[in-house]
Amino acid sequence: MNALEIKNLTKSYPGFTLDNLNLTLPSGCIMGLIGENGAGKSTTIKLILDMIHKDSGSIIILGKDNTDSIELTKEDIGVVMDEVGIPECLTVKQVGNVMKNTFRNWDDAEYARLAQKLALPDKKQFKEFSRGMKMKLGIAIALSHKAKLLILDEATSGLDPVVRDEVVEMFSDFTRDENHSILISSHIVSDLEKLCDYVAFLHKGKLLLCEEKDQLLAEYGLIHCTAEEIQNLPAEAIKYKKENPYGIEAMVLRSAVPANFNVSPISIEELFVFMVKEAR
Amino acid sequence: MKGLLLKDWYMMKKYCRAYLLIAVVFIAVSLFSNDNMFFVFYPCLLCGMIPINLLGYDERSRWMQYSGTLPYTKTQIVSGKYLIGLLSQITILVATGVAQAAKMLIAHNFELGDFAVLMLLMLIVSTLTSSICLPFVFKLGVEKGRTAYYVMIGFVCGASVLASSILRGQLVSEIQPNLILALVAVAGIGIYILSWYLSIVFFKKREIQ
Repeated sequence: MNALEIKNLTKSYPGFTLDNLNLTLPSGCIMGLIGENGAGKSTTIKLILDMIHKDSGSIIILGKDNTDSIELTKEDIGVVMDEVGIPECLTVKQVGNVMKNTFRNWDDAEYARLAQKLALPDKKQFKEFSRGMKMKLGIAIALSHKAKLLILDEATSGLDPVVRDEVVEMFSDFTRDENHSILISSHIVSDLEKLCDYVAFLHKGKLLLCEEKDQLLAEYGLIHCTAEEIQNLPAEAIKYKKENPYGIEAMVLRSAVPANFNVSPISIEELFVFMVKEAR
Repeated sequence: MKGLLLKDWYMMKKYCRAYLLIAVVFIAVSLFSNDNMFFVFYPCLLCGMIPINLLGYDERSRWMQYSGTLPYTKTQIVSGKYLIGLLSQITILVATGVAQAAKMLIAHNFELGDFAVLMLLMLIVSTLTSSICLPFVFKLGVEKGRTAYYVMIGFVCGASVLASSILRGQLVSEIQPNLILALVAVAGIGIYILSWYLSIVFFKKREIQ
């Protein structure tokens, strides 16, 4: 079963359209949603959760249409948004009490364990938390009610590199169960590169690609050469090139590059930047 | 739903202590003032503002957005605010009612009819603010909702003054006081139910950004 199936999803605002989006996240996998500011990542996530109304298309979460009693489906979804909207006066314990009376499958022991692991202060009110601590509390809540799908919108932003690494590890552990899946959007593409099985590139409301990460990295590469050397490359091999004072850097399709060229590996971040520039 | 009420209870304990203090002082003062009903009605009016203030804090902390990720329907989110409002209104009503009954008994002028009228008026006063304000707040957000509320109150007051100047001495003399009271009670309850329904309709249509 797929954890998430989005078909022909469209949503228009003045000056922005999320245009005919198609995405499929298989169960047991992690998909990274990559895009610049305003690309439509948060809009997509809000549409999935039915927080905003779609113009057209369909969204199936864990086998159920998202307009069909989504409050029941949300029992199985852990969400961390870019801002965790916990009331400012609540403490970690009070938040636990509220969530215990919110989720049917709330696990008090797991929440306490995560709060301790993430070093969340017992007595402080939420308004006294740093941004990093707020995100950690959001993550602890999302992981404490036996969710099957995690939806994370910039959930690692504001965390220091050590904690970020720990959190990425926690997400990775979460998907060891083949029924668990994650949809994660982040500006920190290195986190997504570590974590994801699939990546989806969004640019100005349009999906540039959605593929398996390993396949993408095997498919594309980087070539550094001179202006003369690049003339020997077939046109179909070059997806995008940029000139600099030291020569030419080109994103290429490995299968179309002659054997005498040295093709270096490309990172997901480089791939995204090249693709956005190509789309422009 | 229990989670929503518990969250509001924690917030009331933190942010609405001043309301409790003011209510206690005003109820105490009302025991010693003879005809000034301001001290009786003000705590009721004040507690009617509690749901709106809680919504203000919700908006500031972005709880509205966060609650959209939790397993609650929009009907439950709206109803939670009406229920927490009713809880505080009934609490103040009972406290004020007990104080006024004691005052009447001590002064040997307790009459069930007068007491019932007083309680009914207090109920209407305490629910009227949230009845009128909450649909605007759920449709437009707290800031715009409050502004719309003040405009609406202006219209209602203006219309009341106009109506009373036109109808004075005509209809009122022909209507029995009990009938007026019954009409006021039915209208108050009707407005509250209509307000609850409209808030749900408006909030369902609203997109939480």
